[in-house]
Amino acid sequence: MAPSRGPGLLRSGQALRGYSSVPRSHSGGLRSFATFTNTLSDAANKLQSYISTSNDPYLNLSIEDHILRKSPPDSTVLFLYVNRPCVVIGRNQNPWTEVNLGILNAARHRKNDAETEPPGIGAVDLVRRRSGGGTVFHDEGNLNWSITCPRNDFTRDKHAEMVVRALRKLGVDCARVNERHDIVLDQGHEKRPSDPQDTHRTPFTVADGALPKPLKVSGSAYKLTRLRALHHATTLLSSPNLHIIPQYLRSPAKKHIRALGVESVSSPVGNIGLDVRPFQRRLQDEFAAMYAGIGTANIVATVGDEHLKIPDIRKGYDEMRRQTDDWMWSQTPQFDLMLNAVDDIGIKMNVHHGIIKSLEFENSDLTLNMRKEIRHASVGQKLQDIRSWTAFLQKHLSSSSGTARAIANRLEKLLPIPELGP
Amino acid sequence: MAARFNIVRAARQLTSATRPRPQFACQGWQTQQRQRLFSVSAVLKEKKYTEDHEWIEMSADGKTCTLGISEYAAKALGDVVYIELPQLEMDVSEGDAIGAVESVKSASDILTPISGTVAEVNSELETKPANINKDPEGDAWIAKITVSGEPEGKMMSKEEYTAFTEDA
Repeated sequence: MAPSRGPGLLRSGQALRGYSSVPRSHSGGLRSFATFTNTLSDAANKLQSYISTSNDPYLNLSIEDHILRKSPPDSTVLFLYVNRPCVVIGRNQNPWTEVNLGILNAARHRKNDAETEPPGIGAVDLVRRRSGGGTVFHDEGNLNWSITCPRNDFTRDKHAEMVVRALRKLGVDCARVNERHDIVLDQGHEKRPSDPQDTHRTPFTVADGALPKPLKVSGSAYKLTRLRALHHATTLLSSPNLHIIPQYLRSPAKKHIRALGVESVSSPVGNIGLDVRPFQRRLQDEFAAMYAGIGTANIVATVGDEHLKIPDIRKGYDEMRRQTDDWMWSQTPQFDLMLNAVDDIGIKMNVHHGIIKSLEFENSDLTLNMRKEIRHASVGQKLQDIRSWTAFLQKHLSSSSGTARAIANRLEKLLPIPELGP
Repeated sequence: MAARFNIVRAARQLTSATRPRPQFACQGWQTQQRQRLFSVSAVLKEKKYTEDHEWIEMSADGKTCTLGISEYAAKALGDVVYIELPQLEMDVSEGDAIGAVESVKSASDILTPISGTVAEVNSELETKPANINKDPEGDAWIAKITVSGEPEGKMMSKEEYTAFTEDA
């Protein structure tokens, strides 16, 4: 299963037989992970429910994508998972503007004495998901829920409403779905009459824009295919990291970058104050109640790290993480980094598909020859391949210069390329 | 007669092949533009729609098709904020996702109902994605594809497609 295996070497049926000798016991009965795809895609299984025991964000997103592509077109599937600390950006976002990439890197390189790190939580993974939307932070106090359903049945709110019903049954009366299809907790002080069945209003709802602002506890994103719709979302139950999340989501380069694509809308966040396990169970019950009309869930099972042996999941995992860094970096919509010449290094760089397309200088200290050398070396390069601008410029400049060193330092700070995964 | 048409077609192909093609350094594959003598049948020359809500329209010579998403799809997606366009000169097979549209936190694949090579993309959509909500079946086309085969999937006329969306 090395990543270097040839494409198409392992095809579904044939490859899966190899694993069927490994039995595993799951909550829903005896099911080996080898039969996971068969069970998942069986047309008879109209209602399925899975929980992941893995906390690997790349794996959980790949299992989720596998569910989206393999589940029967008319089925509805619930999938619950918790990820280790990671920052997850949307499909069409710019990691350099959305994420403080420098501190992800720092934590990884010094993860052995993680406690001395300013954020104090060790390595934080960086992930680009396949769905749209903005950047979110995950950790062990955040439950991710996802529902894959027929595209014709899909609305952006229906499953957020399901989650609000689950929260209210656990006593969280101030939870509601807002106009951005997110779940918020109202913070109003006065209790006003409100229909308890209305999942878009609570007794504490205040007028739009009025204070106190509701706290966001769940953010949604979607992936739509021909026949299917995937709705996945975070749920901040008991994150120990709320106070440091803003540090991870504040990029020092943001004010210098003009980017196409999708910009995150930042919102004040809060913890709901529930433990992960009881909420998982409540959510499974609420899902069962919502779809009782289809019948009882045919499949209730756990999935985990061993599912990485399923070729299709492995392929998705490698695309997201291992084989190339292209999905993270080259998928970035076109952007310009603009640093003025008055109080900065005087550079304009255009990056398209992750490749440096142009580099212009407005700094009189740099000789024409040096500009030419830097431009010659960097235009056409993948930005992700320049891990150290200092080393890069040292290699390509025929003479040294203080200005060039300053340029290298600045670019290294603004455009860091952290490693993906340990 | 058939032979003469083929000669005319081959001549046109040669002329178009000598036109300078846009160079994009980002494309690692840099394949040579292949000679294609394929052209689709007359029945496809009116605008056709797929069940996935894409439309295609053949050029007069039957060699290139313009692809976009339908008005129905553009309306259903809501405000489009970003469009991932296919890469130029990419070989595509029928049913492939050649790009994606993002609207209201949703990524939706753009599928091609026809095989061929991406000859042109509507770059304006990169900076003005909202155009796709204004004129999805006109100015906001997505790509032009030099076709290499007849589509095998179901293609519908405007009337059939309208009936299809009303049923959905």
